[in-house]
Amino acid sequence: MRRAGLLSLAGLLLVAVSLAQGFGDKPFVTMAPIGNVQMKAGASKDLNLDFRIGSEFHVNSHTPKSPLLIPTVLKLSGPEQVAVADLKYPVGQDMTFPFSPDEKLSVYSGDFSIDAVLKTPSTAAPGTYPVKGELRFQACDRSACYPPRTIPVQFQVTIVK
Amino acid sequence: MKRNALVFVTLFVAILAMLASGKYLDRVRKHGPMKLVGDVQGKAAPDFALASLDGKKVKLSDFRGKAVLLNFWATWCSPCKVEMPWFEQLQKQYGKDGLVVLGVAMDDSEPATIAKFASDLGVNYQVLLGTDKVSDDYGDVQYLPTTFYIGRDGTIVDKMTGLLDRNEIENAVKKSLGTSYKPASAMKDRAKAEVITADVKVISKRGSIR
Repeated sequence: MRRAGLLSLAGLLLVAVSLAQGFGDKPFVTMAPIGNVQMKAGASKDLNLDFRIGSEFHVNSHTPKSPLLIPTVLKLSGPEQVAVADLKYPVGQDMTFPFSPDEKLSVYSGDFSIDAVLKTPSTAAPGTYPVKGELRFQACDRSACYPPRTIPVQFQVTIVK
Repeated sequence: MKRNALVFVTLFVAILAMLASGKYLDRVRKHGPMKLVGDVQGKAAPDFALASLDGKKVKLSDFRGKAVLLNFWATWCSPCKVEMPWFEQLQKQYGKDGLVVLGVAMDDSEPATIAKFASDLGVNYQVLLGTDKVSDDYGDVQYLPTTFYIGRDGTIVDKMTGLLDRNEIENAVKKSLGTSYKPASAMKDRAKAEVITADVKVISKRGSIR
């Protein structure tokens, strides 16, 4: 009986903590986790980095229609054993919003993917190497905008023989 | 059994309240007692000294006795572009009654870029270069546009975030000008009306004599 009571109390504490966390800020963009990427030395590999934008938000695409608008940009860097050779951004959706009914903005909303090409030199020693970077974006909702933010992007590449 | 349930519910509410108040106190601690947290209506607007686009220092306290519309915006904020011409119109309309519009640009662009952006929108009111400190003092302004309506005595009478209807903005301007606010034009009309009323009284007196 006492044990059940303690368990219930622990459960209540967990619920309370998660509710209290809910008072915090909602994330604008989250990244789907990438498992360990396996590659052979001297090979190249296409990698999709998947992002999800919170349902009430949109972010500028990589190529917004005005130079004053802040584009979505992914920056990645790895050790000499793993090179990020190419990044391909999706084309933005042309959308109008209540705050600019006559002006179309090029944005991402919902889910979007950025394609990267990874290359390893033939001389790369087998091992696991971290690739790190960040996604910079500027989010708005239907009536207001938020300052530019960045989220960390990282994954590991394992080079096998 | 009933007693246990009551104890659990009480504990749950207590834990939730402690966590929420902890978050709130943490925010108050971070921002300090002189900074705006929570409901800002009726609180003193924090003073600031910000650079204008032409390099002058502008203080909020320079405008004591005037109603101030303090608008935080940025060149990358599309909704802000909709409001700014309205603020210009309101400045023209209510300036003679004591309204001052101040724009605070919260972006990293060069002053020349900000000036061109404002000029392209027909803005002639003063635009100041925002800082992290002023954002922090006003409760960590993140959501743009955010506008504070400050009364003649320096207290905040309203705060609006996001793009709103022009009428709501105008109503807040009137509120900041004072509850006994009467536009200068209305004062003239009122004077005329009083003369007319006096004439009507005379006529009715005459009528009653008849």
